Amino acid sequence: MIFLHPLALLGLAAAAIPALLHLFQRRTPPEIEFPPIRYLNEAERRSARRLRLRHLLLLLLRTALIVVLVLAAARPLVPARHAGASHPPTALALILDNSLSSGAVVGGQVTLERLKAAARSVLDRATPADRLWLVLADGIIRSGGRDELRGAVDSVSAEGGRLDLVAAVNAAAVVVGADPAVLREVEVLSDLQRTALAVGRVTLPPGVRVLALGAHPAPPNRGITAARVSAGAVVASVGGAPAAGAVPVTLRVHDHDVGRALAVTGATVTIPLGAIGPGWWVGDVTLAPDELRGDDRRLVVWHATPPAGVLVTPEAGSFVTAAVEVLRSAGRVAAGSGSGVTIGDLPGAGSAVVLPPADPASLGQVNRALAARGVAWRFGPSGTPGLVTGAGVDGVPVSRRQRLEGSDTGAVLATVNGEPWAVAGKGIVLLGSRLDTSWTALPAAPAFVPFVDALVNRFVRGEAAVEEAVGAVRVTFRTVGADTVGATVYGPDPRESDLTPAEPRLIRQALHAEVVEDGEFGQAAFAGLHRADISGVLLGLALLLALGELAAATLAR
Amino acid sequence: MTFRERVDLLDPAEVARLGGIEIIAQGVVEGFLSGLHRSPFRGFSVEFTEHRAYQPGDEPRYLDWRMLARSDRLFVKQFEEETNLRAMILLDASRSMSWRGAPERLTKREYAQRLAAALGLILLRQRDATGLITFDDAVREVVPPRVKSGQWRRLLRGIVALPEGRGTVAEAALRQVTSLLVRRGLVVLISDLLLDRNLALVALRFLRHRGHQVVVLHLMDPAERALAGPPEVRFRDPESGESLVVRPRELARAYREAVQREISAWRAACRRHGIAYHDVMTDEPFGRVLRRLA
Repeated sequence: MIFLHPLALLGLAAAAIPALLHLFQRRTPPEIEFPPIRYLNEAERRSARRLRLRHLLLLLLRTALIVVLVLAAARPLVPARHAGASHPPTALALILDNSLSSGAVVGGQVTLERLKAAARSVLDRATPADRLWLVLADGIIRSGGRDELRGAVDSVSAEGGRLDLVAAVNAAAVVVGADPAVLREVEVLSDLQRTALAVGRVTLPPGVRVLALGAHPAPPNRGITAARVSAGAVVASVGGAPAAGAVPVTLRVHDHDVGRALAVTGATVTIPLGAIGPGWWVGDVTLAPDELRGDDRRLVVWHATPPAGVLVTPEAGSFVTAAVEVLRSAGRVAAGSGSGVTIGDLPGAGSAVVLPPADPASLGQVNRALAARGVAWRFGPSGTPGLVTGAGVDGVPVSRRQRLEGSDTGAVLATVNGEPWAVAGKGIVLLGSRLDTSWTALPAAPAFVPFVDALVNRFVRGEAAVEEAVGAVRVTFRTVGADTVGATVYGPDPRESDLTPAEPRLIRQALHAEVVEDGEFGQAAFAGLHRADISGVLLGLALLLALGELAAATLAR
Repeated sequence: MTFRERVDLLDPAEVARLGGIEIIAQGVVEGFLSGLHRSPFRGFSVEFTEHRAYQPGDEPRYLDWRMLARSDRLFVKQFEEETNLRAMILLDASRSMSWRGAPERLTKREYAQRLAAALGLILLRQRDATGLITFDDAVREVVPPRVKSGQWRRLLRGIVALPEGRGTVAEAALRQVTSLLVRRGLVVLISDLLLDRNLALVALRFLRHRGHQVVVLHLMDPAERALAGPPEVRFRDPESGESLVVRPRELARAYREAVQREISAWRAACRRHGIAYHDVMTDEPFGRVLRRLA
C-alpha cells in the first residue's frame, strides 16, 4: 500500500486523543441535590460491567474512526487488477539494454525483441500525467512522452557497446528520485549478464523502486574478444561462456583467407601474416556463427613499413644506444644512413629525435638549429619533476626536464605536470628529458625499448598507434594531408560475449531490484500495475464507525 | 379559577397558588366529597344500628337478604357513623421531603402537607378523632387524636409548623402511634420512604398486628422516577451528604428499573401484611389520591 499524501499520516497521532482524554480529562461536574441516591447506587452497581464494556467499545470506535479518517486523508492506493484501476502520477525511467549481447537469439527469439516487447507493455500503461525517461546502452537519459519513447523503442537495435547496468540504474534513479511524482520507478529491461553486475552497487534515493525483467537461460556463446598484430602475426583471443570443443578462427585479408586456427574458450591463437607489402592493412578475424553473431567478428589493422634507419649520436647516451641495438637485432630498425633517423642533441638534416643537451649552455645553439629547420618548438628553462602522461609511457617519473615551448598543441605526444614533454613535427621529435636515469626513470623501465621503437618508427613519421575502441565493428583512419597517420579499430566489448545471466540474488544485491518474469512485468510496473484509491471505501467505513459510535452512545442508554 | 371547578382534580401546584393550606384543604375536600355518593371511608368506621322498610331509591346493596328470606319482606340496614374511630396521620418531615425536581412543581413536603390537611379534614368531618405525628430522624410534633372542635386548627398548626428535618427514621413515630391509638384505628403514613425499608416494615407490621388499618402513601417527585440532568453530574444526598458522579443518560434505564424494583418491593411487602400501599406522584391531583384511599 502506498499513499498519495503520506504527510497526512502524521495525523495518526490524533488516534491517541480519545484515550488521552479518557485518561487525563478531569472535569468538575455540576453538583445537584438528589435524595434518592440509594437508587443510583444500585443502578450503577448493576450496570457497572455493561458501562465498562460500553466505554471500551466507544473508545475503540472513536479511535478507529480517527485512524480511518486519517488514512482516508492520506489517499491510500492498493494493488488492484480491475479495469477501472489507475496508477498515480509516476516518474519512470526505462532502461532498455540494447548492448551487443541483446542481439543473442534465445529460444528462437532475439533477446532485444523480448526486451522491447516488455518496454512497450510498460509504455502502453503510461498516462499523460507520468514523467518518462528512456536509457539505452549509450547511457544517455532521454526524456519524452509515451508515444515519443515508444517510437524510440521501436527503432532500437542491438549495438556493439556495453551497458554498465549499475551506473545506468544509479543515473536513472537520481533522475526519477528528483522528480516530485508520487511514484518513482526504474524499470530494467536487460539480459542481466553476470558481467554487467560484477562491479559496484546501486545507491537508491528514498522512494525509488527498481524493477528488473527476469533473465532467460543463456545459450553457450563464444566470441573474438581481442585481435591485434604482433611480430608479423595476428594474435586473436576467444572468450565467452565455457563450452566444449574448439571452434575455427579464420583470418581474412582483402577477402582472402590468410590463415586459420582452432581455439577453445579462453584460448589465444596466433595466425602468421606471411609476406605482405608495405602500407596499411585491414584483417578480418571471424568465428563460426553461433547464437550471438555480433561478437563473431573483429577487425585488425596494421601498418606494414620497412625498418627505419637509425643513427645514434654519442650525445644520445648509452641507454639509447643499447635500446637501438636491441631493435636492430629484432629487425625493427636498420643501420643508420643519411636518410634515417638521428638521435642526439642537435637536429640533423633529416628526421631526428632531439634530446636536451647535457650542458644547459648549449640550449641556445639547439634552439637556433630547430628554428632554422622551421620547427615551431624550442627548449625552455628547467621544469618541475613529475610523471609522464601519454606516448605509451604513462606514469614514468621524470626528475629533470627542460620545458618545451611552442604553440602547436596538436603536436604534443606526452606531458609532465600538464606541460609538453614530448612533441613532434616536421620530422623531428623533441623530448623534454634526456633518456638517462639521471633525468628520468624511463631507461630503466620495460617500456623503454618499445618507446624508442615508437619514436623512430612512428612518432618521427607523425604516425600514432593503432587504437582500439568499443563500438560497431569498423575501422577509421586518421590522415594528415595525403598521409595516413593512424587508425582506430572498433569492436565489441569482450565482456559482452559471456551471456551467463546473473543470479537473482546478485541482481537484488547489486540493483536492489525486484525481479519479475515476462508475463507479470507489465502488471508489476507502476508500483504493482494499477492501484485503486480506497479513500472512498475508508470514508464509507468511517461513516459506519460514526453510526456505530452514535448507536453505542445513544441507543445503549 | 374557583373552588366550583373541582380543585381536587387540578394540578397540585396550580391549586397551591390559590391560597394557604387550610383553604386548599377545604377546597379539595369539598370537591372530593361532592363527587362521592357515600362516605369515603364507610365500611371500617361505621356500625349497624337498625332495620327499616325498603323504599324506592334505596341502594339495593343495603338490602338485608336474610330478612327477606325469613320474612319475605324488604328491609334495608341502617348504619350509624362511629364517633370514636381514631386516626393518626404520620407525616415525614425529613430533609429529602423538601426536594422537588422542577421549580414549577410542589416539593414533596408541600404536597404532603396539603394532602395530610385534606385527609384530616375528611376524617374530622366524619367525626373521627384524628391526630398527627410529624417526624424526621425523631418524632418532632404530636397532635393527639381528638374529634372536638378546634382539632382541625390544631392539626393545621402541626402541619404548617413542620420543622426543617434531617434524616428519616420512621420507627419511632410508628411506635408512638401505638401509645396514642389504644383502640383499633387508622394509620396513614405519608413519606418518600427513603428510609430503611425492613425496619419500617417491622413497625408497620406491628401496627397491623394491633388491628390498626395501615395506609402507606409513597410520595415521589416525577424526577425521581426518571433520571435526567446534564451529561455528567455529581448527585448529592441532602440527608447523608453522600455523592456520586454519574452520566444520567447512561444510567437512566438502570435507574428506572431500580426505582421500579423498590416500588414493587414495597407493594409486595405491604400486600403480604395487609397494608394498603399507594405510590403517589407530586404532580397527581389531590382528589385522585383521596379517591384511591376511599
